[in-house]
Amino acid sequence: MSAYIVPIFIVLVLLYASYKNLNTYNIFVKGAKGAIDLVVSIFPYIVAIMISVALMRISGLTDLITKWLSPVFLALGIPPEVSELVLLRPFTGSGSFALLNDIFATYGADSYISRCACVIMGSSETVFYVATVYFSQTKVKKLLYAIPCALIASLVAAIVSCLLCRVM
Amino acid sequence: MNKIWLLMMLLSCAALLAVNPGETVNGMLDASAEAVELCISLCGIYAVWLGLLEILEASGLSEKLAKLLRPIIKRLFKGADESVHKDIAINMSANMLGLGNAATPYGIRAMKGMDDGSGVATRPMIMLMVLNATSIQLLPTTTIGLRAAAGSASPADIILPTLIATFITCLTGICLVLLCGKIFGRRKKGG
Repeated sequence: MSAYIVPIFIVLVLLYASYKNLNTYNIFVKGAKGAIDLVVSIFPYIVAIMISVALMRISGLTDLITKWLSPVFLALGIPPEVSELVLLRPFTGSGSFALLNDIFATYGADSYISRCACVIMGSSETVFYVATVYFSQTKVKKLLYAIPCALIASLVAAIVSCLLCRVM
Repeated sequence: MNKIWLLMMLLSCAALLAVNPGETVNGMLDASAEAVELCISLCGIYAVWLGLLEILEASGLSEKLAKLLRPIIKRLFKGADESVHKDIAINMSANMLGLGNAATPYGIRAMKGMDDGSGVATRPMIMLMVLNATSIQLLPTTTIGLRAAAGSASPADIILPTLIATFITCLTGICLVLLCGKIFGRRKKGG
């Protein structure tokens, strides 16, 4: 179904624009030009966050934190097999999708663990990536309670996901 | 963000010194190269969506969308300027359709529009960030695709639990921001 959304959306927008007598080609080019500037300005932020995440991983710090936190997660109803995913998810999108594939390979795509992992992926986001990129164009230095709120909501996502997969 | 980044870097470098110091530079360069690759693909994605956005705006469609979502936006983003409502409306719609990367350029523009230059995030800004970090996803297309590829018998049976979980998460995020906003607002007045 979602495969239809984008083409239908584009057709509708273009039809409406030509009905309004707009030069769609010229306007599209003008808008697309902004992409280069945007990417150039968020690039350093992406480098910074990706370097720190990579260092955490190769230094074994991620594994260590996972080991420490898994009893806490277990108490919250999150199985230890997915606790690494819960921890990695806020930092990296590609990394957590790679981990999701590992989980499929290890436990089978239809197992409880895999279903939990899927629902966690679908109900949470890369919090730190969103925070860096979204605030990159502003003068904001103090994010106040933004990151804690997002992280707590992500943890709730993990707890609810594991609970739902048990009954559904 | 400054403190978090510093802590992550210092701890990992200290751990690497003890375990495997040679890997430090390699790891950083690999990650940086990966960031370049990501940015190049993002540039292509943004070009497509920013081009379409320009058409949306010129035709007045984005204004219509903003009007449609106005009741929600007005309540959640109290104090935000009318002019950023359009960007927020497109950002939220793209997120719900699972087009996270398409939502980003509009979100960044909305953030820029809400910046008051004081250096401190305002409540509407935090709301936008948290909404994007806990975004409601109507169709988890990527996970279903990966699951099908891994040989699942019914890859789509995660749709319902995901839908419920994503709604609860989003609501939690909204409530937390509203609550924290109240606590912070009071402290500012009291102090």
